[in-house]
Amino acid sequence: MNRFAFIFKRLLFTIPLLAGIVFVVFSLLQVTPGDPARQIIGLRATEAELAETRADLGLDDSVPEQYVRYLNRVVQGDLGYSYKTRQPVSELIGERLEVTAGLLGLAALTTVAFAVPLAVLSARRRNGLIDHVVRFTGTVGLAMPPFWIGVMLLLVVALPTGWLPVGGYGDTPIDKLRSLVLPALTLAIGMTPVMVRSLRSTIGEVLGSEQVMTARSLGLSEGRILRKFVLRNASAPSVTILALELGYLLFGAVVVETTFALPGLGQGLVLAARQRDFAAVQGYTLVFALAVVVVFLVADVVTAALDPRVRIST
Amino acid sequence: MSADGLAVARRRWSWGLRIGVGIVAAYTLIAVFAPLLAPADPLAQMPADRLASPSWQHLLGTDELGRDVFSRLIYATRVDLLVGVLAALLPAVLGTVVGAIAGYRGGWLDGVVMRLADLFQAFPSYLLVIVLVFALGPGTKSILVAFTVLGWLVYARIIRAEVLRVRESGYVQAAQLAGVPHRRILAVHVFPNVISQTLIYLPSDIVFATLALASFSFLGLGIPPPTAEWGAMIADGQRFLRDQWWLATAPGLVIVGLGFGLALISDGVEERR
Repeated sequence: MNRFAFIFKRLLFTIPLLAGIVFVVFSLLQVTPGDPARQIIGLRATEAELAETRADLGLDDSVPEQYVRYLNRVVQGDLGYSYKTRQPVSELIGERLEVTAGLLGLAALTTVAFAVPLAVLSARRRNGLIDHVVRFTGTVGLAMPPFWIGVMLLLVVALPTGWLPVGGYGDTPIDKLRSLVLPALTLAIGMTPVMVRSLRSTIGEVLGSEQVMTARSLGLSEGRILRKFVLRNASAPSVTILALELGYLLFGAVVVETTFALPGLGQGLVLAARQRDFAAVQGYTLVFALAVVVVFLVADVVTAALDPRVRIST
Repeated sequence: MSADGLAVARRRWSWGLRIGVGIVAAYTLIAVFAPLLAPADPLAQMPADRLASPSWQHLLGTDELGRDVFSRLIYATRVDLLVGVLAALLPAVLGTVVGAIAGYRGGWLDGVVMRLADLFQAFPSYLLVIVLVFALGPGTKSILVAFTVLGWLVYARIIRAEVLRVRESGYVQAAQLAGVPHRRILAVHVFPNVISQTLIYLPSDIVFATLALASFSFLGLGIPPPTAEWGAMIADGQRFLRDQWWLATAPGLVIVGLGFGLALISDGVEERR
């Protein structure tokens, strides 16, 4: 199969997938106990008012009709109105997108900055002292829940020094960045052990490969070998690992945003779930699922475009 | 058990695995004997003693309702360990059974399982747990239902692939030719040969489920108050971080201890495969 056919097939598969995702999110309404109309107008509304709101929301129509209408609206970017704030859900998402995107970007960069050197140190002398220390710390790191890492960073960094805010999101670009430092560090501490584990074996293979042995025999310095062969070969897997762990990263963002009171999408989802704000929960879920679909799609297409082996095996 | 499996069972346990089993056994004992070990009732409120500092009477002080934190930590072991293990075990059992049947029978059931697996792979599953718990209302039952609904597909997929391999083997085909009923072939010839796959993945899932359970309770979407639960205790303690730092620190250390023990078991099991 040539690469364009593969990419085209992959794109085509995304369409039923998206419709399926919208269906799952829509089905939530069907399984959730409680009457959305009642939640919007409150407990003291009369039966007539209730019936009117139900008709307005289209809750009296059949379920397939409601699904088609919901799908139609979602395609046009209309995610309905928050039951609590009466704001359009798409607007809520727009306001919160920057925080989450900034957090995830900073966390991904920090993770790579921690994980690659650690994996190199660990892989250079397998079962050496450094390798054991890195692996032991990694196991402890895997056992630490991200929200607790965040609380501990608040305790040992933010509170005693006062350099960084204990929560919330600043107004100026500098303050915004300052508010993201500890949350991103928290996520990175949680992600680094996962990444070191996968990278360690990849880098070990590269270091033992014939190209590196040849380079060594030709007298290339260790620093050049690291830059020319090891880092180049480790960069593609780190991107793949980050993409594969996206679900974990997004869940981490939900938890960490709540810990640091960051007004991002994750905190929005938790608040909406606690307040039983139905339309908002649906909206946030759709955005998260869409992000995963898009990232996987891009990762697949980029890999297929770069690596001839993918095309042969499919 | 196959010859391969016997060899694995005979091999000596690594130190990591022994320490891990020891840690988890200790937590289990604490959970079982909680009423004997805890000095106070975990739910008893003493308004006069709110936010007391650690002392001989209250080893880890009291929380904002005057409850003994040390006793709450001990009792929470019951909730976190039991629900965490069940949240990993239930999807594993369901997934293994459905995957084995789907792989053995093929046909429409197989098709449905595989399409569902494709669909749910696109979802970040822990986020879906939040949404499902939201839909079902917070509580132990919702957590277990949500984890089962979202977790079984991974196992179904792995076991199905294994069954497809075993199904072609000589002894299964011989049994089929001999007219042994399918149900018996599944139970006696197929199941024992694929179950090791489930057992390899289970420990790391228990690590994740335990941490996730604490996370959901921290978010206010897990075990509802007043039940003692580590994640919820950290959320309560975070508000008093400046003056009563131990309130949020102690439950976290207890979680890390259990997580570390489980992670050692998980690593030990993976090394032995």
